[in-house]
Amino acid sequence: MASTSKDNTNNCTAEQSNVTDTLEPGACSESILNPTDSFEEFASEMSSSLQDRDSSLTAKGSTISEIQSEIGESSKENAQMKNTKSSDDLQSKDGAMSASASNSNLTEQNGVDEDCDNEKDDYLQSPELVNKEKHVFILSSAGKPIYSRYGNEDKLAGLCGVIQALVSFIEEQNQDILRSINTKDCKAVFLVKGPLILVAVSKSNESETQLVLQLTYAFNQVVSMLTLTQLNRIFEQRRNYDLRRLLSGVERLIDNLLVFMEKDPAFLLGAVRCLPLPEKARENITNAIISACNKIRDLVFAIMIAGNQLITLVRMKKYTLHPSDIHLLFNLVRSSESFKTAESWTPICLPKFDATGFLHGHVSYISEDCQACLLLLTVQRDAFFPLSQAKHTIAEKLRRSNCLVAINDALNRNEELPTTNPLKHIGIPEIRHFMYKSKSTAQLFTSDPISLDRLQDYRTRHKEGGDITVKKIEKLSDIDYVRNYRKFCSQIHCTSIPAKLIFRSNSHDTVIAWVTNGFELYVTFDPLMEKDQAIRAVDRLIQWIKKEEHRIFIMNAPTF
Amino acid sequence: MIDFKTKISSFFIFNSSLGPKEGEELKRILFFHPNQVTTDARKMQVGLCEAVVKFMSTFSSEPCDALQTQTNRYIFYQPEKNFWMVLVVRIPYTTKALSAIGESRGEVIEPTIMYDLLVSAYKMFRMFMGPFQNIPIEDIYTTCEEFFTPYILSKNITNDISDVIQGIHYLPLDKNSFFKVICFIDLLEINYPDFKCISFVYNDQLIWNALSKNDMLTLYQYLVQKLLPTQVAKEIQGDAVAAAQRHGRFISPPEGIRNKEDLQKLVKVYLMCEDDTETKQYYLIVYRTLSATVCFIVDVNTNLQIETFRSLDAFIGPQLSTIASTISEQCTIQALQNAQITSDTKFVYFNRLNLAFKSSVNRPINKLIPSTTLKPEVLSIIAGMHSDKKSLGNYGEIIVKIPDEYWITGKTSNEREFYVIIQEKNATLKEISDEVKRICEAQMKGVFFYPI
Repeated sequence: MASTSKDNTNNCTAEQSNVTDTLEPGACSESILNPTDSFEEFASEMSSSLQDRDSSLTAKGSTISEIQSEIGESSKENAQMKNTKSSDDLQSKDGAMSASASNSNLTEQNGVDEDCDNEKDDYLQSPELVNKEKHVFILSSAGKPIYSRYGNEDKLAGLCGVIQALVSFIEEQNQDILRSINTKDCKAVFLVKGPLILVAVSKSNESETQLVLQLTYAFNQVVSMLTLTQLNRIFEQRRNYDLRRLLSGVERLIDNLLVFMEKDPAFLLGAVRCLPLPEKARENITNAIISACNKIRDLVFAIMIAGNQLITLVRMKKYTLHPSDIHLLFNLVRSSESFKTAESWTPICLPKFDATGFLHGHVSYISEDCQACLLLLTVQRDAFFPLSQAKHTIAEKLRRSNCLVAINDALNRNEELPTTNPLKHIGIPEIRHFMYKSKSTAQLFTSDPISLDRLQDYRTRHKEGGDITVKKIEKLSDIDYVRNYRKFCSQIHCTSIPAKLIFRSNSHDTVIAWVTNGFELYVTFDPLMEKDQAIRAVDRLIQWIKKEEHRIFIMNAPTF
Repeated sequence: MIDFKTKISSFFIFNSSLGPKEGEELKRILFFHPNQVTTDARKMQVGLCEAVVKFMSTFSSEPCDALQTQTNRYIFYQPEKNFWMVLVVRIPYTTKALSAIGESRGEVIEPTIMYDLLVSAYKMFRMFMGPFQNIPIEDIYTTCEEFFTPYILSKNITNDISDVIQGIHYLPLDKNSFFKVICFIDLLEINYPDFKCISFVYNDQLIWNALSKNDMLTLYQYLVQKLLPTQVAKEIQGDAVAAAQRHGRFISPPEGIRNKEDLQKLVKVYLMCEDDTETKQYYLIVYRTLSATVCFIVDVNTNLQIETFRSLDAFIGPQLSTIASTISEQCTIQALQNAQITSDTKFVYFNRLNLAFKSSVNRPINKLIPSTTLKPEVLSIIAGMHSDKKSLGNYGEIIVKIPDEYWITGKTSNEREFYVIIQEKNATLKEISDEVKRICEAQMKGVFFYPI
């Protein structure tokens, strides 16, 4: 692995003119985000055998209890943590038991199959379900429906029974793990995580890996409401538990998350989008947060976001957040109208940070005239008032230092900002669209930053749709471009044969996908683009990003 | 070369409608390889496949293609309604899982190769036995057993470009030589109106064909992979010395046609001719002199006499050997010319319209000698490009760089495809593209590819 990456650096030098070989816009030695490649992590997870899988979910230690013990939290809580851990260990045994139980389920299933088939098929052919681009089902390992993206999951009990039977049959009889089933136009992808089975049935152009990542996100969304510990415990106690009782409200979160994942390239790249701000403004915001919060000992993260974009993140030393946790926070904030009206105090579990416990979050919008939302996450369960106090101090400071105006300008995509319409500003007419990821900081920038109102638009558009429609495309939207990049991303992120550079030209467009040690870049040009011309354009594009990097990216990693 | 037989966990054919009731599951299984698998295990495998097919039918109108588990891939092919052929191959889900089952990347077979294997197995079956549905139920189990067991055991699969892109090697000839071939065929068909010449092959290269596109490939594969290699082996053993004195001989049926009894041994095939609209049953007769092989078909209802074959032998023998020597001279000249332009670059050309296949990474006729094989990674990328025709459209180009300095270029132009593999350190996109252009001009003179 090491040798290939070295080669890669050499190549970039050769491929590009001398100017850009040292440029890695957005690169930064210290990152607020954990830049671990989720694709690699994913790959190792996917290669685990059946035995590994059962233990993997319980192996991790608790970060939260680590913090608590560090800041001298009462020993009582620690003891409780230990308890939950040992109960986790029981899980694997229980898993084995439940599997054998489900086997008998299968034979039963086979018998009944013929009878309930007609009924089941009828519902699956109903307009609510037929012709959807992507279905997502979540069920318990006992085969009880928990979530269906479309239709009523109650009526899908038959289908869930079949899924459960397939999964457990392959595990029991073949000692194997079911991964996917394909037809020419459709993929069904299966993921078993702890006590849950997640399935995506998709006719989109997403790769299997991309679909599994989405299922992992959906699982993490469930975990973020319950914690993994609680989830495991519930099913340990009652294998047949109807989890929907505990998940009211989560359905909507998963719905939104699924739409979000289909539209936003952040998921495709495993990166976080930052709100482009003048360096000074971002610095002021960060400083305002630090000065208001540095006295609050058990505050772990202070995060300010707006319109699915990160404004700043201040963290406790030693701890960083994974992009996927931030995505869940984006989704939570975007999906919860109630945060707009009042300061909220809510338990949040960030699965990558610590799946075993809750952080407690003070969530509020900065002010009525600014759509930025501040999340203060702590391990202290009764810190609402000091945090509320801190929030007001921060809001006041931001207003005085004109930061709210800067945020609003960026959100409303003020014409004068270079980042509002980057393509126009860069001035290379052949470039139609691009997206760029700085690998070391796990942040991305695209030529078409999503603004708030447009996100709303996706949601309403999606409500009508989800259906497969063949429409004649007159002008491609940024979503169409991102859709187009999916195949390139999956080739670039492929773990067995990772492509380093892809140049594809057809009668519709010319696309370059290029990955180096420092960044990933995807550019769409006009069709019939000459190679040297395209390379020159990429050169200039990278220089422009370099010039604007302080505005586009968060280039430091502030701590309390 | 990969030992293909060890990769196949199982290969089976089933039809759920043959044993609809519980307890009759075994009737659904037309064929199961390997033989030593217990009936319970067979039922289990087939049951799983039935469930998977049914599950996917609720979401898609397309038939099920594949089932992937952590260590195996089940490849499905439904050639006729309700008839399913399934191949279970050890292809792990991730490369990291490879080490877990103790294999290296090079030993993993491309899934597309396996799918094509199923398709060609079926087509071969249909050519000799006819469609599944026309075979009486009581015969079908033995028919499948007799056909597929030797087929599977004799099948050699390499991770080779010619298995990823299945095509036909054509032999380009100069006008005069080609004219001689055509004249020979015309003369023969006029003198023997019952006989139709369906293909003319020199070594493993096709010169003349009168079959529809689908059957052409099947017959060609039968000749090149099955019939001719055994024949060549025989000739090497010395059988041929006597045979060559007689100018030529019938090689199908295998013992030749010497007396009346041999007429009973004529091979029957189901084929569709170029201008026909339906498949008919014929006798297949193959004649060979030197390196030239000619295939004829005769309607099964024709009343055949041994005298006809004797006079046919006398007619073809001398003519064919003259033609064969002419072609042989041509080939020598061509080989000399080619030697001048060959370089170490690797390219592959394929035309979907006539299945013409040309490659610098050619393999020898009998696959005994390993060819200059491509790395499995490179092969996998080409397989991806070949199967994803849509993304390039009618005119397009794709260049992919993968680790170890491999640059793979794919170009399409309508139904034509051209791939070039270059391994070069510190190359730029522009340099690679120029090099590809140069190779394209040198090797594919007169064939249009974008960009010019």
